[in-house]
Amino acid sequence: MAARYLDRQLNIADYALGGLTRRLGKNLVVVLVFALVIFMVASFSMTTTSLKHAASQLLTTVPDITVQKMSAGRQVGFSTEAIKELEFIFGIRSVQPRVWGYYFDENNGANYTVIGVTELGDKTQLAGLGIDFLPNLKTDAAFEPAVIGRGVRENLGLGNRRAFSLFRPDLSLKSFVTSATFDAETSMVTDDLIIMDLKAARDLFGLQADEITDLLVDVANPLEIDNIADNIGERLKGVRVVTRERIGKTYRVAFGWRSGFGLACLFGAVAAFFIFAWDKASGLTPAQQQEIAILKVLGWQTEDIITLRFWESVIISISAFGLGYLAAWIHLLFFNGLLFRPVLLGWSVVKPPLSLVPVFSFADLLIIFSLSVLPYLAATVIPAWHSATIRPDSVI
Amino acid sequence: MKIELTAVEKYYNRGAPNQVHALRTVDLSITSNETVCIHGPSGSGKSTLLAILGGIIGPTSGSAVVDGRKLARLPDRFLTLYRQQHIGFIFQRFRLIPELSVVENVTLPLLPLGIRPAERKRRGWDLLKRLEIGHRGDFLAAEISGGELQRAAVARALINDPSIIVADEPTAHLDTRLSEDFLSIMAELKDLGKTIIIASHDPLVSGNPIVDRCLYLRDGRLTAVPGPQ
Repeated sequence: MAARYLDRQLNIADYALGGLTRRLGKNLVVVLVFALVIFMVASFSMTTTSLKHAASQLLTTVPDITVQKMSAGRQVGFSTEAIKELEFIFGIRSVQPRVWGYYFDENNGANYTVIGVTELGDKTQLAGLGIDFLPNLKTDAAFEPAVIGRGVRENLGLGNRRAFSLFRPDLSLKSFVTSATFDAETSMVTDDLIIMDLKAARDLFGLQADEITDLLVDVANPLEIDNIADNIGERLKGVRVVTRERIGKTYRVAFGWRSGFGLACLFGAVAAFFIFAWDKASGLTPAQQQEIAILKVLGWQTEDIITLRFWESVIISISAFGLGYLAAWIHLLFFNGLLFRPVLLGWSVVKPPLSLVPVFSFADLLIIFSLSVLPYLAATVIPAWHSATIRPDSVI
Repeated sequence: MKIELTAVEKYYNRGAPNQVHALRTVDLSITSNETVCIHGPSGSGKSTLLAILGGIIGPTSGSAVVDGRKLARLPDRFLTLYRQQHIGFIFQRFRLIPELSVVENVTLPLLPLGIRPAERKRRGWDLLKRLEIGHRGDFLAAEISGGELQRAAVARALINDPSIIVADEPTAHLDTRLSEDFLSIMAELKDLGKTIIIASHDPLVSGNPIVDRCLYLRDGRLTAVPGPQ
């Protein structure tokens, strides 16, 4: 009995597929329009998920507190003397100076993020970046060791070579040797990154001997971060004190309302499509009406006709879902969420910059499936009831 | 299978300004393996009578009993089952689906029965070969000639091995040779024990030796006319 039921379903599904291919042009348009709608919703949802994931990944590399000197609303360098002011704040485990800057590689039109730290390999400053150290290479003392991202390595065209040079502001060359690379998993935040010794970074950017751009503060008790941040703000005038939590909050606020607004707009498009689908399913051409009447005379039950419509809708909606979802992945994977990234991030630049990697979320997949395929089935199968009750004698 | 119609009346749009009184107090009894021709002018109610005999529609009043079962009382679902199991219907214009191949058209009644594709195809091809159009099985219905369409329609009507064949004006669009071909196929079916009911105003049909009885329908009233025994 169950086998016969299954065979009946397969027969009708097969006939439904044949029917769709017979009216290929018309059905292809429906599949493509539906796929476009699913692509937009899925793409938006995936971009949001990826941005949130990227932000959370990025936060693991951010120190508890970052202190920066501000002048006229812009970040400026300052002296390491400031460290002395912080040494007496109870609860601070360590304070590390850092130079953070950007290096424009004119030859390749690329922009690298350069970070100078007190010690290459220091766990506090490089935590979460996944460094693969290379064997020591005997070089001239003038070659400073540097840890570089995969993107930098590619842009500089290093291949198997490990030595490279960058220009100082006075256009003299400073040479480096690659001491380590970042592993692929952290490429999202390390692709354009060059980490070097603090002194080497000062030399590269032409800074003063004790000049830095940030102080990285490590706090013993995470519950005390806000209090210590306030304390730092009181002791050092004219500085910006940024906690890890505040950076996370900035991202959440930026993504939160924008993704909500964007999704609300997109669901308008989804609703419009379902109204179109309902309308299409409600009206049959004379040829389709005749076909149904013939099938009924030949012994097809009303439920068989509804099953036929159901399978047609399943084939259309699953094809469109697959196509739309795949396109959304491609959009995210190869185009970095090009369409929706500005909507979610805004046109202002978020620093440090985020690059996206697709994050598979089963919950997202289920939500998109539930909000696309299921309503389409409802919008097409319910009006199919009316068409299935066509009187068979209409064909005689 | 014995078919009994008693005082059958059929109205369309009853009570409306466009009401049609299609059948008026029709009494008819058809025995198993009998071949009956119903003829009469267009609009006389032939198709309506066939639709009632074929279990496609029910009468407005009166009774239609087939093998002891009152068709008028059967719900739609069981009427469909009755058609599935006992009736092979040949339409006036054959009504094959033009975008399907001939064999696909022929096996359409088997789909909701859960017959597997291989078995469906085997049955379809067997019938097409028996009716001498096996070479056209893979052609689209839109691509074959009138005579081949007619044979394909007969094959489709026979695919479920029904006991009753109902044909509505089957020779209306055929020339004399093709009409004679059709009647020779009906003769074979009669030899197989099928009950055949043909609505036609074609004298070639009503005058054919396979016809046991001819009935004349005019303005929905049925009168017997002697058949060429």
